[in-house]
Amino acid sequence: VSEVCVRVLAGDEHFALPVSGVLSISELGEVAPVPGGPPELLGVRNLRGRVIPVIDLATMLGISDETDRKWIVVSELDGLHGGFAVTEIVDVGELGDATEEADSPYLSGAILVDGALVGVVDLAVILNALSPAAA
Amino acid sequence: MNDGSAMNEIDPEILQLAREEAAERVENIEKNLLAVESGSIDPEVLNELFRDAHSIESAAAMLDWKRVAAIAQGMEDRFSDCREGRASLTDLIDGTLATLDELRLAIASDEAKEADPEGSAEVATPEAPPAPAWGPQNGAPAAEAPQNGGPKAAEKGPLTTQNGDVAPAAVAEPIPVAADKPIRVSAAKVDRILDAVGETALNHRRLEHVLRERLVTSGNAESEQELDMGNRMLGELHDSVIGMRTLPLSSITAPFPRAIRDTAVAEGKEVELLMSGTDTQLDRSILEGLAEQINHVLRNAVAHGIEAPDEREAAGKPREGMVELRAEQRGGMVAIEIGDDGGGVPAGVLARAEGAGSLTDLLSAPGFSTADGVSGIAGRGVGLDAVRKHVETRGGSLAVESEPRQGTTVTLLLPFTLAVMRVLMCERGGQSFGLPLTSVREVVSASGTVSLAGRKSLELDGEAVQFDDLAAALGASAPELPEQHPAMVVGAAGRWRAMACDTVLGDQEVVVKGLGPLLAGTRGYLGGAILGDGSVALILDPNQLVRGAEGGSAPTVSATGVKPVEAKAPVAGSRILVVDDQVTARQLQRSILESAGYRVQTACDGREALDRIAENGVDMVMTDVEMPEMDGFELLRAIRGDAKRSSLPVVMVTGLGSDEQRQRGADEGADAYIVKKEYDQHTLLDVVSRLIGA
Repeated sequence: VSEVCVRVLAGDEHFALPVSGVLSISELGEVAPVPGGPPELLGVRNLRGRVIPVIDLATMLGISDETDRKWIVVSELDGLHGGFAVTEIVDVGELGDATEEADSPYLSGAILVDGALVGVVDLAVILNALSPAAA
Repeated sequence: MNDGSAMNEIDPEILQLAREEAAERVENIEKNLLAVESGSIDPEVLNELFRDAHSIESAAAMLDWKRVAAIAQGMEDRFSDCREGRASLTDLIDGTLATLDELRLAIASDEAKEADPEGSAEVATPEAPPAPAWGPQNGAPAAEAPQNGGPKAAEKGPLTTQNGDVAPAAVAEPIPVAADKPIRVSAAKVDRILDAVGETALNHRRLEHVLRERLVTSGNAESEQELDMGNRMLGELHDSVIGMRTLPLSSITAPFPRAIRDTAVAEGKEVELLMSGTDTQLDRSILEGLAEQINHVLRNAVAHGIEAPDEREAAGKPREGMVELRAEQRGGMVAIEIGDDGGGVPAGVLARAEGAGSLTDLLSAPGFSTADGVSGIAGRGVGLDAVRKHVETRGGSLAVESEPRQGTTVTLLLPFTLAVMRVLMCERGGQSFGLPLTSVREVVSASGTVSLAGRKSLELDGEAVQFDDLAAALGASAPELPEQHPAMVVGAAGRWRAMACDTVLGDQEVVVKGLGPLLAGTRGYLGGAILGDGSVALILDPNQLVRGAEGGSAPTVSATGVKPVEAKAPVAGSRILVVDDQVTARQLQRSILESAGYRVQTACDGREALDRIAENGVDMVMTDVEMPEMDGFELLRAIRGDAKRSSLPVVMVTGLGSDEQRQRGADEGADAYIVKKEYDQHTLLDVVSRLIGA
């Protein structure tokens, strides 16, 4: 069963975030840096009265990239909430089943869509990896 | 009876509430049992015990928590026997306490979280806690009565119920409903309301801003009034939501008497626990996890503070030791003191404490133990480092005092709430930070620093205070500090450090929100606050700041023979009273004046201003014109009319820029007149220094 995903660009690479773990999508907005925080943390942001951490998806996935981050995909799973900053939102829709293996532990697989390889982000793994309590 | 699929339809929130309520009743049963044990025999207590057990049983039956229902049923039968005189309650206390522990486990177990697919609760599985000491069908009170010290539950046979299934709930006794019976709302929902109120206030401020722009040109008193009214109502709403988050300390103290009792029994000691001030209110954010910390300190007091009965007798003390928990509000903080009348910390440890800085530092050093050998419960200090860490991450502090032969007192000082805090806002590298106002001693000018071996320090009241760039202390990169920059003198755990920043913006009350579990590993912050413009300011943890850059203590000026250069910072400025009904205007003026070294007090209308002047005396008044109660002109007249203060400099600061107003101000005797739209930092400071000097 293929799931509905938010397809995003982090740098020039394509990724898909399953909507079951996505709360909302918003513009990057004003992010306050948190000195001393982990390298993938861009900072914290006010999102409708809530303070949420903003994580750079590209850095998290080991992509070095200088493009402007314009959007945040806000995720929440098991009480862990955070926003993933991305370069571009491509679309929201159903993707096929993952056909390719992915070598990152944060990806559950990859799919070939329109000639581009789209990595499917495993939000549970990525959020738990970010949470020091789970370590 | 329900099967698993039926259970799945029950709302998880209802299940959560049911678990909480059952847990509360378990606590109440325990409290009542301990009261009976200590000699209080009130017939109503038995009824209450019965009702509590019955409520747990009937709720559990309804939710198909078979194991909970079976244990509660057994307990209910037991209390019923006692009520009818077939058994003596005092004989049953130990056994019932053990059963309560099983009941707790059963309530917390997965069975109570989800359906039991097997539908079997009769036989304890190997992993499950031992079956209760007695089953409901057991009708021989004498045989069940626990022997000395209480039977080991494991020795008893498995639990069976009357017909192999849970009996349907008996007709419930009417349970009195208090008129102000609290309703249960999940904490997350209250936080959601708080977030929404914050957002609404933000939106209102934006609306106010847009409207005022237009009102300046057209002028409309009615709209102004409505806007102010909106502000006030939002303030009230905010306070009510904050109020919903507070609970008395007694909401977590229920397990303590039992913990003390068990520890005392294990250690062969006689101890009485006294608690006072448990009605002190604390925010939920502070109460979370606090019970464990207090429990730890209490158990330490019994295990290591209180001496064995014979030893006490020999020292001329009563055989029974006393542990006292006292809670009280101290300003914006709540102090929880846990004292014992035991032997105090050994003299050798006290001597070592002098070398370590303080007894608190020594005892809360990780792994410290005063116990010579290894006992069941380790030394006094073991775990005190965890307690200290806990209170410090919540912006509090820990102190230990000990008198040989008199006892030891551990004090946990905690902020009343983490939700609302007065913070001093500052800016460094274009980013705003807030520091809890209670941790800031003063704001000084950084011109008087002494540099030695690459470290800067500042002399304050004859002591050298280490001086650091806030950005460096946080590990952030920021442009160089401007030549003239302020520094905040921050104190925590008995240490002081001066933190330099670009500007100090003044103090304000903020709602502090947690940074969430993903940032739990990032130290140095108490949380984040959403500011008036919607941006987030990080609220700094003073404990971390003070400890953070402890690479070495600041060199003391006198010891090295270096002469202090302009050592004393010019802080003792003149006192200015800022009067304005708008918080933002007060804040703005305060920050400008304070950063220039003046001491600022505020009042929100003329009447309050007169009270301030009478109470404290001031050197100058800066007042708004339009204010409720008593406006600026009336205030001016009152000051000029008072022979003692007729020469007090008064500056009118107003949004009204008409010549007529200006003229009236001059006629009434104002010393200066500043139009809000025109003023900037320099105009304001120029006027002030012209009138009263810097």
